[in-house]
Amino acid sequence: MTLAEKTIAYEREELLTGCQAVAQAVRLADVDVIAAYPIRPYTEVMDNLSRIIADGQLDAEYIVADSEHSQFEIVKHASSVGARAFAGSSGTGWMYGFEALVVTATDRLPVLFLVGNRALDDPGAFGVEHNDALAIRDMGWLLCWATTAQEALEHVLIGYRVAEDPRVRMPMALALDGAFLTHSQHMVRVPAAETVRRFLPPFDLGDRRLHPDNPISIAPQVNEDWVMELRRQNWEAARRARRVIEQAYREFNELFGERYGTPFFDEYMTDDAEVVLVGLGTVAMPARTAVRRLREHGHRVGYVNLRWFRPFPGPELRASLARFRAVGVIDRDFAHGSPDDGGVLLHEVRSCLYPLPERPQVLNFLTGLGGRDISIDDVTSMYEQTLAAGRGRALEPAVRWIGVREEAARGVPEERRP
Amino acid sequence: MGFKDKLKEELFPTIWCPGCGIGLIMTQLSLVMDDLGLDEGNTVLVTGIGCTGRMGGYMHFDAVYTLHGRTLPVAEAIKTVRPELKVIVVSGDGDQASIGGNHLLHTIRRNPDITVLCNNNEIYGLTGGQAGPTTPQGTKTVSSPAGTTTTPVNLQGLVNTSPHAFYAKTTVYHQGALRKAIREAIAWPGFAFVDITSQCIENNGRRIGFPSANEMLMHYKREFRPAPPGSSALESHQLGIVRGTPEERAPAGVAAPSGGSPSRGEAGSGEGEE
Repeated sequence: MTLAEKTIAYEREELLTGCQAVAQAVRLADVDVIAAYPIRPYTEVMDNLSRIIADGQLDAEYIVADSEHSQFEIVKHASSVGARAFAGSSGTGWMYGFEALVVTATDRLPVLFLVGNRALDDPGAFGVEHNDALAIRDMGWLLCWATTAQEALEHVLIGYRVAEDPRVRMPMALALDGAFLTHSQHMVRVPAAETVRRFLPPFDLGDRRLHPDNPISIAPQVNEDWVMELRRQNWEAARRARRVIEQAYREFNELFGERYGTPFFDEYMTDDAEVVLVGLGTVAMPARTAVRRLREHGHRVGYVNLRWFRPFPGPELRASLARFRAVGVIDRDFAHGSPDDGGVLLHEVRSCLYPLPERPQVLNFLTGLGGRDISIDDVTSMYEQTLAAGRGRALEPAVRWIGVREEAARGVPEERRP
Repeated sequence: MGFKDKLKEELFPTIWCPGCGIGLIMTQLSLVMDDLGLDEGNTVLVTGIGCTGRMGGYMHFDAVYTLHGRTLPVAEAIKTVRPELKVIVVSGDGDQASIGGNHLLHTIRRNPDITVLCNNNEIYGLTGGQAGPTTPQGTKTVSSPAGTTTTPVNLQGLVNTSPHAFYAKTTVYHQGALRKAIREAIAWPGFAFVDITSQCIENNGRRIGFPSANEMLMHYKREFRPAPPGSSALESHQLGIVRGTPEERAPAGVAAPSGGSPSRGEAGSGEGEE
């Protein structure tokens, strides 16, 4: 492709929040049905979409449901009749609709959901934690994090492309860190609609589309006669999705310029790195800054920003991380009572590394919970601890809390209780 | 003791926006509680997610801030275990009529002795002003820039599906009627629902043309009128109380006596005072 052709890939550049970028992507994807129910921080997506529709920029059905459960059921069955469908939520709202989310995957309906990551109440909290989106990880969904508004926009398009592929047909959750991405503004290049149409063909559910001319049953009762085989079909679809994702990024890069080096994760200053940190979402920002500062002092450190969590890029990440002496896994989530009481990402990464004959040391940092800032100093400390582990020092404990007020965590002292 | 003893004034100013109507409800509730001798020893507040739910934190009572939409099962559970307590639910129209709508339907049917004060501002205020279950048709909101297309939930009609229920309609402007409605609702032996029209200037009023919260209150003053005495149902913009027939209650654990369902209508009488 010539440079001249590439210049029409993006039609304009503007300042958008993560939520606004997602709304623009939904417009560009020419979504047919949107169901909404307000909950922070996702709400800005539905507000923007209502304006886009009212302004005549998108011809779509827009339904404000009575709750998330209804919201998710609406888009699921809109998809089953052949509509490209979109919904989104956050935190406990996402969890309230979980019954609908689970069966969307088993019905193999490629709806795209935005998850504005939010802590799971109680106690009331609006800040980011990843446990809401991570809860879907074993249910046959595609799950991916964006770190910038540009990535958020582009991964709505890539997400529909992968989810709707006949080899996949899985629902897709695109996660954005609440506040830090949903509500921070970035300069975003907005793709041209014509180029998006070349990348994302019209939704076609084929012979699985519910229509009077194609009488089929959705979710009939099958019990032990069929469930195991259906689970196997979901498993095969998730396995096939890896190659479909790679193909989607290749074609995205051809149409929109070389946007993405690798599909599943990207690496920052890792070429000669001794140790790396691995994380999901916007922690990449302070991490990259910490990497640059530490390198000014001669420390060979790098950062691996994991984008796709499902399907998990096992072979690719294993090959990458095998190069380092130590890996620090950052979890903006928790998995209470799990091995070593670490976070969800720790277990995925450590399991991924296990087949290696010589494994890097692995540390785990639990941090940024409930929307607490992860500062550059915090990340620098994580690097220092990971460097020490890489040199065989201070290997225990494997799991460390960063940024927690230890005294407050012990609770209110007896003498100060009412 | 005075009504201010019910309030945690040390936490003031509240988190509510300037001009919000919720404080007017909290004040009247405090006054009624003071009159009736309700205190933290005999009363529990149950509040729902939404701006209104914060009221539990501003009052000197044991309070449960429930999951979104779940005030009624929580309140019913408390009343079942501790029947001697007064259980008062305070939450918004979004919490009661939308995500909690199914609970409302079935709590009305079971008729537990609890009181619901519904701050009905016709909008999802906390999340920034999206159309909710009671938003009047045609209203421009942030989720309906061209006007809502759906009809609002008829709360009176819903509550009055039970022959035993108590329904009151008032506004935060009509403070006398509000106080009377709260007082009678708390005294009512069964499910009592007070539907309180209230202003959300920041996330609704200004967008639909009101320059200030005061203008919204003046609008309520102009538009709402007491229902004629003896009304068995309230028309739009009528203030008053519609009472069912109190249910005969068997002791706990004993089946209720059989018999025909009492009819609704003759027991009702419109009320309204300012």
